[in-house]
This record gives sequence, structure tokens and C-alpha cells, in this order.
Amino acid sequence: MSTLLPQLLLTGLTTGSIYALVALGFVLIYSVTGILNFAQGEFSMLSALVCATLLAWHLPLGAAALIAAAAVCAVGALTERLAIRPASGAHPLTLLIITFGVSMAFRGIALMLWGADPYALPEFTPGPALVLLGGVLIRQAIWAIALSLAVVAALFVFFARTVPGAAVRACADNAFASRLVGISPRRMSLLAFTLSAALGAVAGIVMTPITGATYDMGLALGLKGFVAAVIGGLANAPGAVLGGYLVGLIEALTTGYLSPGYGTAITFLVLLAVLFLQREGLVHGARRRPA
Amino acid sequence: MTWERAGFALLAAGVAALPVFVSTAYALALLNIIGLYAIVTVGLVLLGCSGQVSLGQAAFYGLGAYGSALLSRGLGWSPWLTIPAATAAVAGVAYAVGLPALRLAGHFFVLATLGFGVIVNVLMVQLVPVTGGGNGLRDIPPLQIAGIRPATERQFYYLIWTLALGALLLARNITSHRTGRALRAILGSEVAAAALGVEVSRYKMQVFVASAAYAALAGAVYAHYIRFISPSPFALYASLFFLIMAVVGGLTNIWGGLFGAAAVTVLDQVIRAQVPRVFPRVGGEYQTAIYGVLLVVIMIFFPRGLVRGAIDLRHAQAHPLPVPGGTADAEPAEEWRA
Repeated sequence: MSTLLPQLLLTGLTTGSIYALVALGFVLIYSVTGILNFAQGEFSMLSALVCATLLAWHLPLGAAALIAAAAVCAVGALTERLAIRPASGAHPLTLLIITFGVSMAFRGIALMLWGADPYALPEFTPGPALVLLGGVLIRQAIWAIALSLAVVAALFVFFARTVPGAAVRACADNAFASRLVGISPRRMSLLAFTLSAALGAVAGIVMTPITGATYDMGLALGLKGFVAAVIGGLANAPGAVLGGYLVGLIEALTTGYLSPGYGTAITFLVLLAVLFLQREGLVHGARRRPA
Repeated sequence: MTWERAGFALLAAGVAALPVFVSTAYALALLNIIGLYAIVTVGLVLLGCSGQVSLGQAAFYGLGAYGSALLSRGLGWSPWLTIPAATAAVAGVAYAVGLPALRLAGHFFVLATLGFGVIVNVLMVQLVPVTGGGNGLRDIPPLQIAGIRPATERQFYYLIWTLALGALLLARNITSHRTGRALRAILGSEVAAAALGVEVSRYKMQVFVASAAYAALAGAVYAHYIRFISPSPFALYASLFFLIMAVVGGLTNIWGGLFGAAAVTVLDQVIRAQVPRVFPRVGGEYQTAIYGVLLVVIMIFFPRGLVRGAIDLRHAQAHPLPVPGGTADAEPAEEWRA
């Protein structure tokens, strides 16, 4: 048991960093538009599969990853334009159902294009695994943790230090008031979807060398990221990152000590507990005011 | 009201007469499945009338199926007894789930039902000694007519459609009298309804329990009809499927539930039969792509469902000038104000 724990913690941190990225994508769209984007996991799925296909066309991994991420950003923007904007002003539940539809559409299209077989990506830097505190850490896991931390840091700098970042924050805080000072909530909504797609793309491409990629990976990934976002408080970016690591650790520990099959159930029990006990999430954050 | 009564009588007569014209086992089986889905969907629409959307409907459907199957297999009770018993038990489960979940507003309630659905499905897969795990339960006792022989496809048709029409009628009555007015008030504004003395949480709970009981009843009958159940037809995907049926018919339109269940089930059969002819290589659940697009298009252009959408469209063509409170643009806000 004592040798199992460090390994489980390392695994939990690795998956947790992936969930953190997906959770951040949820939070970004939710805080700007008030929409829970159920299709968030599908961005990761699309990026992973596009990247694998480009690699099969003999592109170098770096170029393939960049093109895949750019393509998925375009998909995110198109989603906002074609599915979300035409229904702008509708009830939040209507918009939520629309994102269910978008998620199903992407999954079905991916199945038609790529089939049901799993795809693989090589590790970014192949080499022997590291031994850390009695646990084994493969190199790709270090990439996952480091990249997710870097992306989170870059995102915080974007929000704290740049004018477009401040505009997004203003729009999240009060869409009406930001319109009065010349910020277009529509453009911010487009930006939020594009950035969220980029976050999903990073998560999908980084995790695929570890887990492989299939057309239906987005559903489970999106749900986990979504639980992480709710735990963090939904409109709270640092909370979502913490929530991501928490979900990763819970999943790893239940898989190791209880049974692999119950990991999902425990994660969702935590979701229910958080929803029922405290709607603002475990990490206290500012609640979103209706725009 | 009289129009509606005439419509219902016509529907009942049509349902009663249909087996005379339909003789193939395939068509009869399709009608039976439509009837079961209609019961589940009408339950979902009933919930929609209180302004709530659930993604746990397939879980209640599955709990009804597993409950009745386990009771009849384990205790040897007659399915005629276990179907109502399982339905009542699932209503109790829904009450327990509703106590904390119904305190959540808007999409947080959707999320709670989603979480509940996922957990129930994981338990169906993981509790192998009870549920048989992924292999499911086989040899579920059949329904017996007059205690002798298993019910035939045709007898199931009459049973299922009697239940479906009864469910429809009950839902119509619930939504057209005092409770219905209370639900419409809640749909308009929970705060305003409460201020007028409507017991918001009591009505929401009643409707939630009723919708779960509808799903459980259909599930219990399904278990003894197919006589084999496994976790996969009760997963999140099925909840989305029921949601699509409700959305096609209109989330607050009881009759739409029947229409949506029939339209989507027939569409499903057509897609399964025709798409492989055009794209021979696709396999699996490719039709999710079509459903996904369908869901998006309906929610954008016909948020009140296809039936009302068509009426509104004709209305808009007949009256090009905006009619107060009657234009298509005004619908979403009117229908779904929280």
C-alpha cells in the first residue's frame, strides 16, 4: 500500500492537470456568456484526432500539434457563430440543450471521419521514465503537468495584464456595462469560445500520447472537467484549476484503492455533494450575476 | 377543450384499430417501442411544464426495468405485481433525489440529474452480483395473460398503448386544471408564483416524482417485454435521446411528447436503414451526428417544438406584422422565463 500511494498521487496530478485545462475552458465560456458548454470535451477529441491524422501525413509533431490547435480554435469560433449566437438571448436551458446537440454532432462526425478505432500520438520527448518519491513518472506526464501550468499562467497574465483580457473580465462581470464602454459582448463571446477551444486542444494533444484518442473520449473528459469546474465554483478560474487536480486525485485514489469501475461514480458523487451543499463550489468565488 | 377531447377519441380509436391494418411483427414491435418511449417522453414534458429539464430520465427508466426484473426473478412475484411495485419504489427514489436536487435552480438541477444518471449507470455496470454487470439480466419472467402463456406481441401492443394513452390523459389532466395553472405560474416566474401563494416546491416535487414514475413504468414493462436488460440502453446517451424526443414535440407540450417519441423513433429506423447504403463504411452510433444537428436546429428555430413551430410559422406568414405576444421571436423568453 505504501508504495502504491506515491504512484497514485503522480497519476492523479497528471490527469488532474488535463482536467484543469478542460475545467478552465468551461469557466471561461461560463463567466463570459453564462453558458455551460457541454461540448467542451469534444474540442480535445477533435484536436487529438486531427493531430494524429496530420502526423500520419508525415508532418513533424510540433507542426501537426499547432495546425490541429488552430483548426480546433476555428471549430470553437464556428460553434459560437453557428450554434450559440443564433439563439442568443434564449433561456440558459435552451442554450445548454444546444451545446448537448453540438457535442453529439461532433462525436457523430468524428465517428464518420475517423471510425471507432483508437489513435495514438508519440511522446513529445521519448525516453526512460523518471522515478520520483517511489513512483514512476513517464516523460509525457511531465509535459502534461508543465504545459498545463504554463497555459494556466499565460491565461492569468492575459487576463490580468492585457487589454483584451481586461475586456473579457469586464464582460464577465457585467455585459451591459461593458457595452456602455465600447466592449462588444458578442466579440467577447466569440473570443471565449475560441480560447476555450484552444485550452481543450492543448489538453487533447498532451493527453493522447498517454491515453490514446478515440471519437468518444470527449464525453468522459468533458464531464470530468465539468465536475472540476463546478467544484471550483464555475466562475472562478483558480478554483477550476484546483478542482481539476482534485478530480484527478480522487479518480486516481478510487481507482487504486477501491475499484477502477467506481472512479466515475465517486467523481459524480462529489459533484452532487458540492451542488447540494454549496452552490458556489468548495473554493469560494464571486457568483456570476445575470447579465 | 372539446377539440382536444375529439382528438383524443380519434387517437384512441386509431390506436385500437391499427393492429387490424398492421400485421408484420416488425411494425408491431416498432409501435410498441414508440408507445414505451412516449410514456417516458410525456413524463419528461410534464417536468418541462414546471420549467425543469432532466438528464436522469434514462436512469429512472432503467431503475424501473431493473427493479421489476429483479423483483420478479428474485422473489418469484408475478410481473403484474412487480411492475407497479417497481414504479412505486422508483417514485420513492425520485422523491429522495428531488429533496436536495429541486432546491437547485436552472441548469444546476440539470447537472444534478446528469450526475444521478451517471452514478446509476455505473452501479448497473459494477454491481455484478445483483445486476449481472455489462452482461445484463436474462430470462426475465414474461407477462402472462390469464396466467397461462406469455403475452404475444399484439397483446403487448394493447397493454403498452393503453398505458401510454392513460399516461397522456393523466398528464393532460394534471396540466389543465389547478396544478396546471400553478405549473404555468411557476414556469412564468417562480418568485411571482410563490408570491401568489403557489407552493412552488411542492408542485415541482409532485411533477418530478410523476415524471420519474412515468419513466419507471415504461422501463418495467420494457423489461418484461424484451425479457433481457443490460446497462447500455439506460446510459446518458438514452437520456439525451429522450430529451430530443421531448424537444421535437415541444418541452411544454404534452401531446408533443407522443409526437416526438413517434417521430424520433421512426427517424432512427430510417437512418439506420438508409445511411449505410450511402456511406457503407460507417458503423456504430454515427446517427448521433444527425441528432446533434437536429437538436441544435430545433432549439434555435423552434424552441417550442416542431408542432407549435409549424403553427407559429403559418401564423407569421398569415400575419406579417408582429402580433403582440404571438411572434416566433417572442417565444423563447415567454416560454422559458426563469
